[in-house]
Amino acid sequence: MSHEQYKILSKRFGRRDAHKLAVYEAEGGYAALRKALQQGREKVIEEVKEAGLRGRGGAGFPTGVKWGFVPKDAETVYFMVNADESEPGTFKDRFLMDYDPHLVLEGSIISSYAVRASLCVIYIRGEFGWLIDRMQAAVDEAYAKGYLGKDILGSGYDLQVIVHKGAGAYICGEETGLINSVTGRKGQPSIKPPFPAVQGFLDKPTVVNNVESVAAVPHIVTNGAAEYRKFGTEKSAGTKLFSVSGPVRNPGVHEIPLGLPFKEFFHDWLGGMADGEKLKAVIVGGSSVPVLTADEAMGIDLDYESCGAAGTMLGSGGMIIIPERCDMVELIQVLMHFYWDESCGQCTPCREGTGWLHKLVRKLRRGEGTAEDLALIEKVCEGMAGLTICPLSDAAVMPMRSFLQKFRSEFEALVAGEDQDGPQTRWAREYRS
Amino acid sequence: MAQEQTMVTVKIDGQELQFPAGTLLFDACREARGEALPHFCYHPDLPVAGVCRLCQVEVEGMPKLTIACNTTVRDGMVVHTRSERVRKASQQILEMHLINHPVDCPICDQAGECGLQDQYMNYGLYESEVEKRDKVHKAKAQVIGPHVILDKERCVLCSRCVRFCDTVTGTSELGIFQRGDRAEIGIAPGKELSNAYSLNTVDICPVGALTSRDFRFKKRVWLLKSTRTVCHGCATGCSVRVDHEGDRIYRLKPELNREVNGPWMCDQGRLTYRSVHSEKRLAAPLLRRDGGQVEVPWAEALAAVKEAGAPGAWIASPQQTLEELALFAALAGDAPRSGGVSTAGRGEGDAILIDADKTPNRAALDWTGLPQHDAGALIGLIKGTKGAVLVYGGDPAAEAEGFLAAVGGRPLIYLGTHRNATSEAAAVVLPVSAWAERDGLLVNRQGRVQASRRAVARPEQAREDWRLLADWLRESGAEDAPAGLPALRRWVAERVPAVSGLDLNALPAAGAVPAGAASGAGGER
Repeated sequence: MSHEQYKILSKRFGRRDAHKLAVYEAEGGYAALRKALQQGREKVIEEVKEAGLRGRGGAGFPTGVKWGFVPKDAETVYFMVNADESEPGTFKDRFLMDYDPHLVLEGSIISSYAVRASLCVIYIRGEFGWLIDRMQAAVDEAYAKGYLGKDILGSGYDLQVIVHKGAGAYICGEETGLINSVTGRKGQPSIKPPFPAVQGFLDKPTVVNNVESVAAVPHIVTNGAAEYRKFGTEKSAGTKLFSVSGPVRNPGVHEIPLGLPFKEFFHDWLGGMADGEKLKAVIVGGSSVPVLTADEAMGIDLDYESCGAAGTMLGSGGMIIIPERCDMVELIQVLMHFYWDESCGQCTPCREGTGWLHKLVRKLRRGEGTAEDLALIEKVCEGMAGLTICPLSDAAVMPMRSFLQKFRSEFEALVAGEDQDGPQTRWAREYRS
Repeated sequence: MAQEQTMVTVKIDGQELQFPAGTLLFDACREARGEALPHFCYHPDLPVAGVCRLCQVEVEGMPKLTIACNTTVRDGMVVHTRSERVRKASQQILEMHLINHPVDCPICDQAGECGLQDQYMNYGLYESEVEKRDKVHKAKAQVIGPHVILDKERCVLCSRCVRFCDTVTGTSELGIFQRGDRAEIGIAPGKELSNAYSLNTVDICPVGALTSRDFRFKKRVWLLKSTRTVCHGCATGCSVRVDHEGDRIYRLKPELNREVNGPWMCDQGRLTYRSVHSEKRLAAPLLRRDGGQVEVPWAEALAAVKEAGAPGAWIASPQQTLEELALFAALAGDAPRSGGVSTAGRGEGDAILIDADKTPNRAALDWTGLPQHDAGALIGLIKGTKGAVLVYGGDPAAEAEGFLAAVGGRPLIYLGTHRNATSEAAAVVLPVSAWAERDGLLVNRQGRVQASRRAVARPEQAREDWRLLADWLRESGAEDAPAGLPALRRWVAERVPAVSGLDLNALPAAGAVPAGAASGAGGER
């Protein structure tokens, strides 16, 4: 398969015993760590900046630049790996931790070294029980082999790693929420400034990186920035994991070079729609990004810039393929229920707005909606967008607005009482109301 | 302080203004606008939360609106607080605050001084579009402590009360539990809101979520008149506001005084108003007759005082004002005198506001030459004199063991406000004014002179202390006995060296510490 060449992060996916240290070492594991410690942290930072690695959690912020925000004179620095993967549609990090925990760990150690962290916390969402065990086993193996602890590989660098279990809140995937949760506070974002890179965990500089971001670091250290840039575009360098759900022939996690046209990805990698299914819409990067119609999706490339130009975002790569038979209003109700449930509740527009949107959509689905309610949805969205501490409010607004705008006829049909529900939808309506 | 602060220039709503670097944009906007930006969560004495999102302003060069409470001014910053974009955002966010609010203003104590009502009138004025049946309902009328009651439904989750208990008292009784629109203020398991400052949470609650159990359902706030005065509960002398309708006091609230109490006061102090309306108030002059005390007209009581002859021992108390003590000392002349029992009025203090000295004016006793005595010394003082014993305030009969025995069969004259052991043993009782019924100066533990003001009228039969004393002074032949309050204060400034440098008729709102007074004042704590 020609697609094999792009497998940098996913080469051990699906292989028996891939998670074991012996397997990882036999394939060159921890050589990158050795090299990084020999080269010095400046070189590591430089390579990662040069490689153009961007945060894979969703925001796409350049990883090397983020590392550079840590004050140079800071005595204590913390590094945290964001494994609170909870964006609906996203399930790439769990594959990384499941099949290649040592890759994640090696990347974490190198990243911690780069930012001069003495403690690294791997924050894993609470529902990932077995992954916590798996990461902990990898950490234990690494300690035993001297990849962790005091004087790592004779370099004089000390690092402790803690695997921390989250308690099941989506918002703890936001980095300040994550830091608060690790601290033992209620998991909710903090106002910025101060930024975590200056004042984070225990008021010390703290860098939080996504699992996939750190997993890319060993490859960059081993092979250099130029090799990493072999795939991808100028501004969206390297490869990216996409976790694809929906009725395509090959759903699952795929590693692709950034910049790949969606059309090619859809046909050649995903194998197109399953029998009898027709493509209606695509959520490219996790449930929080604006939805694209089938036509729009066919016109984009899978990189940060092209997605942005099309009015959506690459996000986390949690791609949801929506078939023609799917009721968009039902789908948005599921999403609005999610954001209403997960809003931490501290900022008023999000706390109240997510609930209001959920109720309005529910009202439509009950057949009690009016045309005014559609206008009201737009108004509520306006009062929520860009006005809160963290992006959760916007994360609810973006799908809501785009669903309503692009699939308006389905909403209007409900208003007019012309709903043609299938049995599944009717059941869902009864069940949720 | 001599170091010059860097100033930055900020343009707010077209007005160019200068502020010291580091000034909060919120404060800068307040100065430029002449009124604060709409807000619920911001409080100058609490850490910034930034959650109500109401104080959004437009800063040129920034793509999104930004909250002024978490932004510091930068040189060259151009800010718009009244643009259409800001106005719309404020209105929308306010509407969000109200969608799940029960709007039960008719039965809410906060009505009339409610942030939601005020902001709605200033920034809202829209038609509500939320369906009543869709509102989120939460628990109402939960008792969460000895003084405070919580209505979770009215709460806007500004977190001020939580931050107060976390940072001012350090007791952390409160928290926000649950998330999203189910989030609610709650009390930590096993705790109650029983810190000594719990009623401050009611003050800073911008809505009717936290209300005072003491004040609840007693009075509509718009019927209340306010008088700024000084709390008499301890030697701290917090600036307070007496809220009263007619001559009835309904509550005390702290008044901002950066030199003394900031924006806070203690719960104990807040409830001191009850003593003014106590059943133990002395309503009329009393004379001892046939083994009991009978009410008599003032003339009769005053005649009895005269008949008792010039008192041999003069005993004042730290409950009296500086003016009263100065007059009392002048009346005593060379006779043995005391400022009362030194061990009385002592209790527990803390490091926040509450002083161990539970009297409001002990420092003034020294200033007016009325030294206090311990019980033994006071009894010795009485035994060394002859004739009547005049007690002004306090309750030495209860505070000094053997006091009544020392007085023996000599006439005991009591000037006071409340029935107590001393008044009940007295031959003559003259009712005077309680703290909220008279003007006067108090010297707090810092040596700060502050003006206490009359808020309500005294009981019909009670006299105004200083006039009674000044009358006696005049009768005793003093030609300079003052006739009005301003004259009285000039007279005090001439007589009391400690305050000679102050204009007692024009003290600043925060009071004033006379030069050299701070260190020696207040005595032991």
